[in-house]
Amino acid sequence: MTEEQKASELLIDEDTYLTSGVHIGTQQKSADMKKFIFKVRSDGLYVLDIKKTDERLRTAAQMISRFKPEEVLVVSARQYGQRPVRQFSNLIGCHSFPGRFVPGTLTNPALDVYIEPKILIVTDPAADQQALKEAINSRIPIIGLCDANNETKYVDLAIPVNNKGRRSLAVAYWLLAREVLKLRGDITGDDDFKAEIKDFEATL
Amino acid sequence: MPDPISRCTSCGIPLSREHDVMFICPNCNNVQLGRCGNCRNQSAIYICPGCGFEGP
Ligand SMILES: [Zn+2]
Ligand SMILES: [Zn+2]
Repeated sequence: MTEEQKASELLIDEDTYLTSGVHIGTQQKSADMKKFIFKVRSDGLYVLDIKKTDERLRTAAQMISRFKPEEVLVVSARQYGQRPVRQFSNLIGCHSFPGRFVPGTLTNPALDVYIEPKILIVTDPAADQQALKEAINSRIPIIGLCDANNETKYVDLAIPVNNKGRRSLAVAYWLLAREVLKLRGDITGDDDFKAEIKDFEATL
Repeated sequence: MPDPISRCTSCGIPLSREHDVMFICPNCNNVQLGRCGNCRNQSAIYICPGCGFEGP
């Protein structure tokens, strides 16, 4: 495979991305996310550039894989993100807080839930405000799944993705998990990854 | 050239305050990048001096 072919290849086939709605943004766009937007549909929906999503998933996986599993925290206040982050954390061996983020988790050593992660992944910077705030105070880098309308305030690495869809969040975290495991050498390749996208989907 | 370890990659001010952060470039894994609280708050673009990666 030439470098060019390699570069043009996506992590999964484009159809899976598209049918999962990974690229479907919102009716509003933020100035921060402008560079990740591919087009605006006739119905006014902003569509994300799938190639950029793919690139950023790779970059994020690289960043995550450099930390020890126990140094990574992934959160999702959003309901559709809760199963994906739980599955991701199970496979990667990191911390996860699906649901309400207990204030003080990163800042109050007196709490039972207190942890000192070295990196935070938020499913939605707007919905995961509390975790974001505490990570800012702890001075740890923040990866954010960001939809077309998200601000990237305090996010150090944005992954442009539909962070509201059930299937979309499943695909994003499934890919992140697979890529991290590959980079860590825990699996030898895509075929060695036994989890399925549907295992990551929130149940209705 | 400013010391990449202790300065904000975007605006160049020394990093010493709350809300600052330092991390290794997520793209090349070679260069320590810094972002000051102000640049993070404004989503200021940072460019890795090693590989040209543009974040956030
Ligand atoms: Zn700055
Ligand atoms: Zn770099």
